[in-house]
Amino acid sequence: MTKAYQLSNIKVSYQDSLVLDIPELSIPAGKCVALLGENGAGKSTLLKLLAFTSQANQGVISLFEHAIKSSLNTSQRQKIGFVDQHPYLLPGSVEDNLKLALKLQGIPADKHGQFIQQALEQTKTAHLAQKASNTLSGGELKRVAIARAIVYQPAILLLDEPFSHLDQHHIQLLEAFILNFSQQENKTVIFSSHDRLQGMAMADEIINLVAGKTTASPLLNVFHGTLSQHIFDTGKIQIHATSTLAEAHHIAINPQEIIISAQALQSSMRNSFSGRLILIAEEEETVRLTVDCGESFHVMISPESLKNLNLSLGDTLFLSFKSTAVSVF
Amino acid sequence: MNYFVDSLSAAVELIFSFDADIYQIVFTSVLISITAAVIAASIAIPAGVTMALNHFRGKSFIQHILNTLMAMPTVVIGLLLYGLFSRLGPLGHWGLLYTPTAIIIAEAILIFPIMMNLSITAVQSADPRLVPTLTSLGAKPFPLIINVILTTRLAMLAALVTGFGRAIGEVGAAMMLGGNIEGFTRTMTTAIALETSKGEFELGLALGLLLLIIAFALNFILSWLNSNND
Repeated sequence: MTKAYQLSNIKVSYQDSLVLDIPELSIPAGKCVALLGENGAGKSTLLKLLAFTSQANQGVISLFEHAIKSSLNTSQRQKIGFVDQHPYLLPGSVEDNLKLALKLQGIPADKHGQFIQQALEQTKTAHLAQKASNTLSGGELKRVAIARAIVYQPAILLLDEPFSHLDQHHIQLLEAFILNFSQQENKTVIFSSHDRLQGMAMADEIINLVAGKTTASPLLNVFHGTLSQHIFDTGKIQIHATSTLAEAHHIAINPQEIIISAQALQSSMRNSFSGRLILIAEEEETVRLTVDCGESFHVMISPESLKNLNLSLGDTLFLSFKSTAVSVF
Repeated sequence: MNYFVDSLSAAVELIFSFDADIYQIVFTSVLISITAAVIAASIAIPAGVTMALNHFRGKSFIQHILNTLMAMPTVVIGLLLYGLFSRLGPLGHWGLLYTPTAIIIAEAILIFPIMMNLSITAVQSADPRLVPTLTSLGAKPFPLIINVILTTRLAMLAALVTGFGRAIGEVGAAMMLGGNIEGFTRTMTTAIALETSKGEFELGLALGLLLLIIAFALNFILSWLNSNND
């Protein structure tokens, strides 16, 4: 499968603080990819690197199998459309903004009309074409910014927090656009979100970011602390892990790998905690339980298991998981 | 008090008499100042934008130099150029001394740091998303500079007007390099200085009033452009 991006040994620092540290990352072409993480996890920094609007302090980024040494050439630049979290439209009309993008990309003038029409129709903003950019609502502005980013027909569309500050109507429009653009046009769409469920529902692939590092685990049960001799200390509880990675400060435990029981289990699992059930939530086709064991653990169970366990809020539960279930990063 | 009021009324009369000599002086002044402002702006604005958009070693040193040059007395510029353009100076064979060109060069040099500093400030105070947006849309260095100038055009126009205002009000260098030759290098400020020293206070005052009217008109145009943009 063609790779849209290949990142190797990427490090980004701001004022001596490492904000992004990605040893290896491949992003396949033609997929919808969600970049998930909390605020400050490094999502925007990574997207700006992928858009080549900022540079890493270290490392190499390849775009469609070509390592980018310094800056993009015209054809490489034309492959990427980027929409910032708070997009900026230049003074003038919506059409002026789209025309400027085409001019800057060196698209011949005779194609401008057709390209603009196509982008406005795709983003359902044709009725806004002559509207002044400073009179648009928040949702309209985001869709127009996306129209401007796709007007030159890039192969990759990067969207930083596209759903933030939007009402339900605009979120639905945007979700439909992203899925349509990715699936029907076979384009690569990479969008960041702090909404794990939305990301998982829409994307073909997920990249989880925690404190500037990618992790294979879903972003549940992520704890911060220090690791020493296979014991990860969160400050509240101690969790057994197999890794001895000295500089690791985060762990994640896949909620599917946690066994929940009403009584303490006699097993070989190194980690066993008791806690109080504080949340029962329906999530797609599973049920998410949150158990306070000093740290809050999320556990996924089936609706049948919930019925069998006959759980109520406040119940005492026992959680058990192997030290191999603990991802250290 | 009567002396001042009488002089003022005589000055107003002179303005409305549309005396050819007075308007020749005004025309020379405006032409020299516009030329100096346009020449300085055509270099200072792109240079200021380029400097604001790039980070390089010695940038803060250049900014200190620019700030120093902004406060440089006009007679010093006049003196240096006089040395260059005088018959025995290295550029004496160009024959520029006591010509409008010499005044234009002096005024362009005088207003260059002002315009460049104002251009830098204009870019720095523009929306911080402007440059990343243009870059992400594929702007190469030259189109990037052009589009930044176009987007901040009102601030750039303000830099141009400020430079023009400084040039038209300049007297030291114009006197030293132009020589105040009637009908050739006599500007409003050099004429005011000359006429006042001769005791022709009314003529000086009339030119002073016209200078103020020009300054007012420029500011009015700038405000009008600003309000139209809003």
